[in-house]
Formats: sequence, structure tokens, C-alpha cells
Amino acid sequence: MEEEVEKKDRLSGIKHFYEKQYKKLLIIPFALLFIAILLIGLKYATTGDFINRDVSLKGGVTVTVPVEINIDVLSLEGSLRADFPGNDINVRLLSKLGGQVGFIVEADVIQDEANLLIEKIQQRTNLKLSEKDYTIEIIGSSLGASFFREIIIALLIAFLFMGLVVFIYFRTFVPSVAVILAALSDIVVTLAIVNLLGFKLSSAGIAAFLMLIGYSVDTDILLSTRVLKRREGTIMERIFGAAKTGLTMSLTTIVAITVALFFAQSEVIRQIMSILLIGLFVDLINTWIQNVGLLRLYLERKEKKQNYNKSNEQ
Amino acid sequence: MNNKIKKIITNVRVIILLVFLVLAVVSISPRPFVDGVAIGNVLTNSSASIAGIQQPSPGTRPVSRERILEINNKPVENVEDYYNFADNLEINQSIQVKTNKRLYILTAKEEFDVIELNETEQKEIEEIVKVNKTINGTLTEVNETIKKIVRVQKTKRISKGVEDVGLRVFEASKTNIRKGLDLQGGTRVLLQPEQILNPSDLGTLMDNMQERLNVYGLTDLILRDASDLSGNQYILVEIAGANENEIRDLLAKEGKFEAKVGNITVFSGGRKDITFVCRSADCAGIDPHQGCSQSGGGFVCPFRFTIALTLEAAQRQADATRDLSVIQHPQGGAYLSEPLRLFLDDTEVDQLNIAESLRGEASTNIQISGSGVGASQQEAVFDALNNMKSLQTVLITGSLPVKLNLVKIDVVSPILGEEFLKNALFVGLLALVSIVVIIFIRYRKLEVAIPMLFISVSELIILLGVAALIGWNIDLAAIAGIIIAIGTGVDHQIVITDETLKGESRMIFNWRERIKSAFFIIMAAYFTLFVAMLPLVFAGAGLLKGFAITTIIGASIGVFISRPVYAKLLEILLRE
Repeated sequence: MEEEVEKKDRLSGIKHFYEKQYKKLLIIPFALLFIAILLIGLKYATTGDFINRDVSLKGGVTVTVPVEINIDVLSLEGSLRADFPGNDINVRLLSKLGGQVGFIVEADVIQDEANLLIEKIQQRTNLKLSEKDYTIEIIGSSLGASFFREIIIALLIAFLFMGLVVFIYFRTFVPSVAVILAALSDIVVTLAIVNLLGFKLSSAGIAAFLMLIGYSVDTDILLSTRVLKRREGTIMERIFGAAKTGLTMSLTTIVAITVALFFAQSEVIRQIMSILLIGLFVDLINTWIQNVGLLRLYLERKEKKQNYNKSNEQ
Repeated sequence: MNNKIKKIITNVRVIILLVFLVLAVVSISPRPFVDGVAIGNVLTNSSASIAGIQQPSPGTRPVSRERILEINNKPVENVEDYYNFADNLEINQSIQVKTNKRLYILTAKEEFDVIELNETEQKEIEEIVKVNKTINGTLTEVNETIKKIVRVQKTKRISKGVEDVGLRVFEASKTNIRKGLDLQGGTRVLLQPEQILNPSDLGTLMDNMQERLNVYGLTDLILRDASDLSGNQYILVEIAGANENEIRDLLAKEGKFEAKVGNITVFSGGRKDITFVCRSADCAGIDPHQGCSQSGGGFVCPFRFTIALTLEAAQRQADATRDLSVIQHPQGGAYLSEPLRLFLDDTEVDQLNIAESLRGEASTNIQISGSGVGASQQEAVFDALNNMKSLQTVLITGSLPVKLNLVKIDVVSPILGEEFLKNALFVGLLALVSIVVIIFIRYRKLEVAIPMLFISVSELIILLGVAALIGWNIDLAAIAGIIIAIGTGVDHQIVITDETLKGESRMIFNWRERIKSAFFIIMAAYFTLFVAMLPLVFAGAGLLKGFAITTIIGASIGVFISRPVYAKLLEILLRE
């Protein structure tokens, strides 16, 4: 009985803190964004790249072995990955006229390690390969040199458009800025965390970051509408009402993603799901602290102005 | 209860959704028990093409492709069966190929290697010459066949065994959904430039190749630079859905196009001279005035399309034609003494007579024509359209800076492995079920959870139906788009549920008001997502485009078709 009361007290304590100290809380999302930009900048300065790329995006070595025996691609891929724990390795089959004519191993190892890679391939497949039995090619990135420039320009235009639509809907710039800032923060902070975890991104990983825009927009628009367009209750009551709906949305998605992570065998699905999971948690902070804080700051100023005008009139 | 069911199935929105669902299933046309192997490609002049097996046109939907069911009365169940059979043929063996359309009789041909010997021999050949003869007092031109003795290099033919019957087959599709490069695998081609290029030239070359393939309609591809340990330069291309011939035509050829009057080049391919190439049906296609005609053992079909030249190129043409004389044609019409000759990679592909009225005129609009041949009329039309497409492609993109040699060509398995799709589908269903469980726990109402499951599954089916209908390749980026469409769909249904249930406590008894306030939020989120995806559609890179388009289509289906139904279902089921 006492415990329950204590729990209730603590909960209302948190609620109270959330309600009264929202300006202090705003420090959290902005600090996160600042640290994330710093980390990504640091990564760019030291490695010349924003992300860790996987073999398909970064390029590396391709070994083509034309042998007409059946190879279990998955197990070869698994064991080679175990041999080169820091590297990204893909194994694929080659066929011609329906029959298997060989396999290729793509790995993001440097040229000097190619011999070691071939040695391991021989070990794992029980093949004796002389230099004539395979070819090595050094491949470049599958993304054009302009890809990241294009994606950044496209994102900038996308953010601009988003801001414009939100402005037309709410007739004020504050929710526009909040929606853009939340989407930007979601992507940047998630990217920094993914980099820290050492994920090697495939093109699917890049798509996952774009998916965050969709989830981010949903919660932000819900919040802005309830706070700015509805008239029932106090602002805080409307915020808590929006949070109830918004948290249900995030919770269902988080549970679905966790289930997917648990049962997915494919590395690619796991990567997409991991990025989304991190992104959704980041979005919780950016919606319910950053966005809420910005909206309340705006409403508080507006109220003061109105009171000031009223007192002037009197 | 019966009353409610009646209300649901007679509701207009529900009926519209059901119609879309049926159309989607028809468009996907799932055939889980399809047998045989599908014909992917028929080589020209091969035994298969002689026997009348048609090259499938690229627009053929996956499940409508002709399938081989039996060969010599033995069932063909998979690609391996077919090639096992094709590898063990004997010369002149007759083969009965039974497809789902008809029975073909093929004869296995012998293949020869022709070796030039170091000696010559005399040979009698027939030649057709034009002779002027006086017939009935008038001078006319007559074709006459004369015999001639010439010395030619002596050759020897060595048998290489049985020639390839010329069929390329693949597993028959179970649905009309086309799978992309990373799910289906594709053709991997290694090309070597004829001379070493510096990095910026290599970049230009790769951009040009990418554009050329895209213009040709091959968008699902990866281009990357490669080199071997001794420093040779290569370009590695992976393409989904292209056949060997197309790749040879598009990639290995330089694609240098020139149009000449006499010895003067008046214009060449690319944007420098050509401002517009028509590719729509009103000004490009099989020439309706001429139609196809029979010639020799086969058919010839002419094609034509219009292009627009820059003023400079038009002026060059005017200068080149100014001093030409006019010749009256026997069939009527007056043409200039020199034709406009079209060259592709230094080989003449066509000659166009220039009308008298164009002499010295700087005309910017020009009609380009050519033709295709084939054993049947359908084949000739197909060949003509294919030639037209390649010619249009080089006219639009210009020539590659260097010639490329094809080093090797292989079929590669998909990067995601064969088991990927099954696993992805399984995981997707589990995720959906877990969402429904959470929803049930939160609202404690089956009337909320079951419609949500139904709507989400409907959105998935309709989205796949649209993809099958427009021939969109489902690849990993598209799957990401599908997930986001369904995922935000669940979000929106939660908004609808909360707005309508909250309405009860707010004493708003008007359901219309409740649903309106829910859709205010949903439409705002939809428009915001829509405009966010638009720049990604036009950003150029294939990955972004596939993702953005799928997201837009999926979200639009949800907002305009299925989510209004969810609102209606809630109203009918929960309204007291």
C-alpha cells in the first residue's frame, strides 16, 4: 500500500518536473544534437567520411573463383566473417546457363590482405587454388561520387518543403521550425550513435535513416495539432493527451521492431531495424522534450505579449 | 450484430476498398503451383527462333511469359532440368518442346568454326547488276543476274559439335511482382576501356553509361569502377532484367552517331546537336504509312521518330544541302541528289532521301527512320522497336568517350540470398501480429484490433498490386518504403482510434466531427511526408528514388482508400 503511494508520488514528481522545468529539459536534446554534430564532424575530419561504409558502398577486393562445385554460400560467408571479424564480407554465386560456374567473395580488405583472404577461402572450401584458378579485382564504391552531395541537397529541399507545408497548416513558423529540427535531430543523433556502435552501413542502412523522417513527422504533427489547434483543457492536459496517443504509436512500432530484430536472419533487415529502433528512442526525446519545449516557449511568449497588450489597452 | 455486418458490407468506402483489393490480387495474379520454366530470351537465327519460338517482349508481365512444360515428353521442372537436357543434344536431333501455348519442333544444328587457310581458290558467284535496256522502244533499268569467277581465301569448316539451341530460361514467376537486383540477382558484366582513362574521364564515362542504361529503361543497376592487381582498368556493371544482347548493344558499343550529307557531318548524337528526341507514340514507332512487308524469307518493318536539332546543326544541314541538285524520282516526288546518311559506329544504318523543299533550309525538325527484320512479322516489329530504342538512346546520350571491351559476363545470385524474401515476409507478419497484440492490450477491444490488422494487410496487398501493375521492381529500398507506409499507417489508425474514443469523454457525439479531427492530423502528416519524399524522387540516385516512390504510393493508398474505411469500421462497430 505504502509502496503504491510512493510510486504515485514519484510519478507525479516526474510529471511535476516535466511540467515546470521544461526549459532546463530543453538542454538535453540540444546537447545531444551538439555532441552528435561534433562526433560526426570529428569522424569526417579523421576518416573523410560521415559513416562507416560496408563493402558494397566502400569497395574493396573481389575474388572470383570459377569452380563448378556446389558451395554453401551462407556457411562460407559466415566462416569468412569469423576469420575477418573487423571486415564486411559477401559471398555470391555465379551461374551460366542454369549451372553454377563459380562464386565471388567481396570483402572490404585492403589489397595487401588479399592473399590472406584467398588462403582462408581455400581453407574453408577445401579447394586447392593456384594463381590461375582465381581472379582478383579491386572494386570501387557502388555509389557514384555525387551520391552524398545529392542526398544532402535532396534532404535540405525536403526539410524546406516540410517546413512550408507545416506553416501553411498552422500559420506560424514555430511548429515548422520544430518539425524540421526534430527530423534533423533524429537523423543526426541516430547517425552519431550508429557510428559509435561501429555499424557498417549498406544502402539499406541509408534508406533506414530516411525512414526516420516518416516516424518523426507523425508524432510531431500529432503534438502540434493537439497543442495549437484544440481548445479543450489546459496546454499541459493537451500535451499529456497527445503523449498518450504518441507513446502508443511509438510503443507499437518499438515492439514490432524488436520482434523483427529477434527473428530476422538477414543481416540487412537487422541493420534497418536496429537503426529504426535507435531512431525511435531518439525521436521520443526530440518530440516530447525538444518539440514540446519549443511549443511551450512560443505559447508563453504569445501569452505575455497578449497580456502586455491588454494591460496597455487598459 | 447482423445489422452491423450488413452496414459494413453495404458501405461505399468498404466496397471501394474491396474492389481495390480484388484488382490488386488480379494484378499480382499469384500462381503458387505454376510448373515449367519461363522463356527469357531467344537468340536470333538459333534453332529455337527458326522453329518459331517468340522472343518475349519486355512488357510481358512475369506470369504471362511462355513456359516450357515438357521436352521430348519428359517434364521440365526447373532450370537445371532444362540445361541438363540442352547440354546432351546430338547433331540433327529433333526436339519436341511443349510450352503452355503450343508444341514446337526444333532441330539441333551443328556448329562450325571457320578457319581461313593460307591459300586461295576460284569460286563462281552470282551478282545482281543494274543494266539499261531498251524494251519496247523505251529505256528502262533492269536487274540482271550475271555469273562471275572470283578468287577467294580458301576456308575450312571444323565442327564444334552441337550449336546452342538458343533458349535462355529461368524459374517461372509465381506472381507478377518483379524483384530487383538485390533480391533476384542479375547479370554481372566486366568491361575494359580500350585506353587507360584518368579518374575524371572515367567518371564521365560511367555517368554516360548510367544515363544510357536508364534511357533504355534499365534502372535497376550498379556501376562501379574496378581494377586488377596489375593495374588494368575495368568497369563492373550489375543489371537486373537485361539480356546478353542488350548489354552488348548498349555497353560494349561506343554509340557514335553521325548524320552526313556527302562527306559533311551535319549533326551527331548527344545534347550538343539534338535538343529533343521523341519517344511517345504520336511521333515514334512503327511507320503507319508503310507498315511491315514481306521480303525474301522474312519480314521487314520500318520505324520512324522525330527529333529536334539545335539551330547550329540545322544551319549546317542548310549549308550542306544548298548546292545539291534535284532529282525527280520515278515513283514521284523530287529529292536532292545526296541523301542524309546515318552512321552508327562508322557503319551506315540508313539513308534518308531529302525532300526538294528542304534544300538550303535550316529546318530543326527531322524524321529519323530505320527498320527491323525477323522471321515472323511479330519478330520484325520487335526487332524494329528494339533498333529504334537503341538509336534513340545514342541520340539522347551521345557517344561514350571510348570503346569498351566486354571481358566477361556472368549471372550473379542476389546479394541478399535466396532465403531473404521468405524470412522478410515471416518477420513482417510477426511484427504485424505483435502490433495487433499491443493494440488489443491498450484498448481491450477486438473491434479495434481486428479492423487494424485487416486495414494494414489490405494496404500491403494494394501496394504490391500497384507495383505489379506498373512493373515496379521491388528491391530492398522499396521494401523499406513498404515498411514505412504500413508503419505510419498503424500510427494513423491509432490517431483515429484515440480521436474517436476521446470524443466520447469529450461529449462530442457527432462521429463526423471526431473523424474530421483525426483526419486533420493524418492529412497534415501525409502532406508533410509527401513533400519530404518529392526531392528524393528527383535526386537521381536509384536507391532514393525507389524508396521515395514506394513511400509516396503506399501512404497515398492508405490516406485515400484504406484509412477512411478504418474510421468507418470503428464508427459502425463502436457507435451505440
